[in-house]
Amino acid sequence: MIIPFYHVLILASLLFGMGLACVVAWRTNVIMMLIGIEIMLNSVMLTFVEGSARWGIADGQLFALMLIALTSAEVSLALAMVVYLHRRKQSVNTDDYGSMNG
Amino acid sequence: MTLYLALMLLFPLLGGTVSALAGRKLPRRLVEAGVCAAVWASFVCAVLAAASYRGPVSVEFGRWLSAFDLQAPIHLYLDPLSLSLSVMICFVCGLIHVYSVYYMADQADYARFFALLNLFVFAMLTLILAENLPLLYLGWEGVGLCSYLLVGFWYTDSNNATAGRKAFITTRIGDTALLVGIAWLFQLFGTFSIPQINGMGFLLPHGIVTAIGILFLVGAMGKSAQVPLMVWLPDAMAGPTPVSAMIHAATMVTAGVYLLSRMFPFIGGSAVTCAAIAITGGITAFYGATCALAQRDLKKVLAFSTISQIGYMMLGVGAGAITAATFHLLVHAFFKALLFLGAGCVITAMHHEQDIYKMGGLKDRLPLTFWPFLAGAACLAGIPLTGGFFSKDSILAAVFLKEGTLYTSLYLLALLTALLTSYYSFRLIYLVFFGSQVHVHTHGELKVMQWVLVPLALLGLFGGVLDLPGYLGGGFLDSFFGHQAGGEVGHSAAQEVALQGVAATLAIFGLLAAHWRYGGKSRVDRVRESSTRPSPLYAFLLNGWYFDRLYHAILIRPYEYLSGILWEKVDEGVIDDSLDGMSSGLGITGRWLGRWSTGKVSLYILSFAAGGAVVLGYLAWLTL
Repeated sequence: MIIPFYHVLILASLLFGMGLACVVAWRTNVIMMLIGIEIMLNSVMLTFVEGSARWGIADGQLFALMLIALTSAEVSLALAMVVYLHRRKQSVNTDDYGSMNG
Repeated sequence: MTLYLALMLLFPLLGGTVSALAGRKLPRRLVEAGVCAAVWASFVCAVLAAASYRGPVSVEFGRWLSAFDLQAPIHLYLDPLSLSLSVMICFVCGLIHVYSVYYMADQADYARFFALLNLFVFAMLTLILAENLPLLYLGWEGVGLCSYLLVGFWYTDSNNATAGRKAFITTRIGDTALLVGIAWLFQLFGTFSIPQINGMGFLLPHGIVTAIGILFLVGAMGKSAQVPLMVWLPDAMAGPTPVSAMIHAATMVTAGVYLLSRMFPFIGGSAVTCAAIAITGGITAFYGATCALAQRDLKKVLAFSTISQIGYMMLGVGAGAITAATFHLLVHAFFKALLFLGAGCVITAMHHEQDIYKMGGLKDRLPLTFWPFLAGAACLAGIPLTGGFFSKDSILAAVFLKEGTLYTSLYLLALLTALLTSYYSFRLIYLVFFGSQVHVHTHGELKVMQWVLVPLALLGLFGGVLDLPGYLGGGFLDSFFGHQAGGEVGHSAAQEVALQGVAATLAIFGLLAAHWRYGGKSRVDRVRESSTRPSPLYAFLLNGWYFDRLYHAILIRPYEYLSGILWEKVDEGVIDDSLDGMSSGLGITGRWLGRWSTGKVSLYILSFAAGGAVVLGYLAWLTL
């Protein structure tokens, strides 16, 4: 093991923060928000893999594989919904979709 | 014996239930005949029981209340006291049932009336025959309930309904004390059986016997309309006259005297309780007699005289003379029922006029009412050789023979009361039956009603033979009750004659005073005076010493004031307003928080991220 454990954790945190910042800041485009979510998920997977390597238990890696499958399903569903939304309002700006206003 | 006792109770219960459930569907004649037959059948059972009576009998019919060591079976007890009372009750109630059939002939609601009358007889017999205190209490409340429903029989007039409620609530005050007494006795002895409790009284400390005795006395005060719980009885006259005769003169109101006589072996162990009973009785007797002096309403005169006569019985119990008190109770039941039924005849004949100053001359128009009524008044006044004379004298003699200043002063008070009694009895006779004639209205029903008075008049007049004084050969009741009488002191024939002489003189003196003031020409003056404004003393007596106003001022007004505060300040001010404030506060908060849910995804994500940051920050703070 060359890369120290903490370095990977710091990288994962940075990735997570950037993903979150992308989701929060880029609200005018829902596709960019989805990309931000993907980045956050990837940072989580990285953490899992690193944990698995650190303690020598395969569970983390298995979970990372499952997350990859889950994410692909999620993205296909989300992109289908984005297409649908774009057809309704000709817009991908999330602020245009305020019908859940309380 | 078992059969007689069971049937005695079951006949009125059956009659009452059938009239209550099916009375309106059955022909009227059948219902009337049925309820009368039920009571007379009870009377036959009572007489048969008396004929085969050899000694105290106690019969258990079944279980009633039973939980752990609390046992209150349906258990009847027949001893001289309950036997003599049940015979009297069946007889008087039977006559009054017959009378009611004619008195209530024009009432449409006969089924309810007769059902209640029969249920009353059932409850009264249960009260008399009960062996244990809960069964006695069942009868005690049963008669109270029937009384309430019958006083308010004409409930469409709100005054009558109010009188019924007043009677019920006032007696409940006493009932509560009685219930506390019963529970206390159970806690002490672990049994409800009256004979057993009576036999174990000496085991208790003196103070506890006194306290329980006082609780029983308060119970008796409520039921028997004794000072200070007597205010309901004059108002209870709002009920139909047969009801007044049966419940509020002959039977129910004497239940308190019965209770104290029944428990006397127990409560008599405390001299303080006896003195309290005697003082209550003496004061009540005087109070009732003074109020009766000034009443204008025929039935109210009789109501106050009932209060006064029950006071005499209480005085007798307090002096330990159970035989004398029961003797007076029996004779009083006859002559007071007679007076009330006579008053019912008069009121019917006078088109429901009850003001005695508007009556007169009925002696010639209603001779068949006049003579029995005169006999009843003579008994009430204690004119020598009537039943009332002997019974009242036996109480006076018992009080006289008790030692101590208290009993001597009570004796003097009772003598004064006897004088007043004689005076107001004959005032009633002179005002109602003498003087100028008024128009009366006689019909077929009145004839039968008047005949009912005759047996009662005979019993009242010759009731004295039940218990003649010693020098005339001794009494039947005295020997019958011999083994359970209280602490009665023997007395010589000379003393007895002297005491009777004093009482007789006073009675005759009262008669003469009434004759002087209300007889002949002066009657016209009195009638003329009655339309002017009454003097303060007269108004004081007319309003029953203003006890109603006193209670209104010291009990009802503070209660209403307190209720007002609780309603307007506490209920509306504190409880309602705090709930309203809480709900509107929640509403405002909800509306304010609701502005957060804008429907914009970006805001939600930001909030989510902020929340996550806070949680993480907290966890970090915990670890570091």
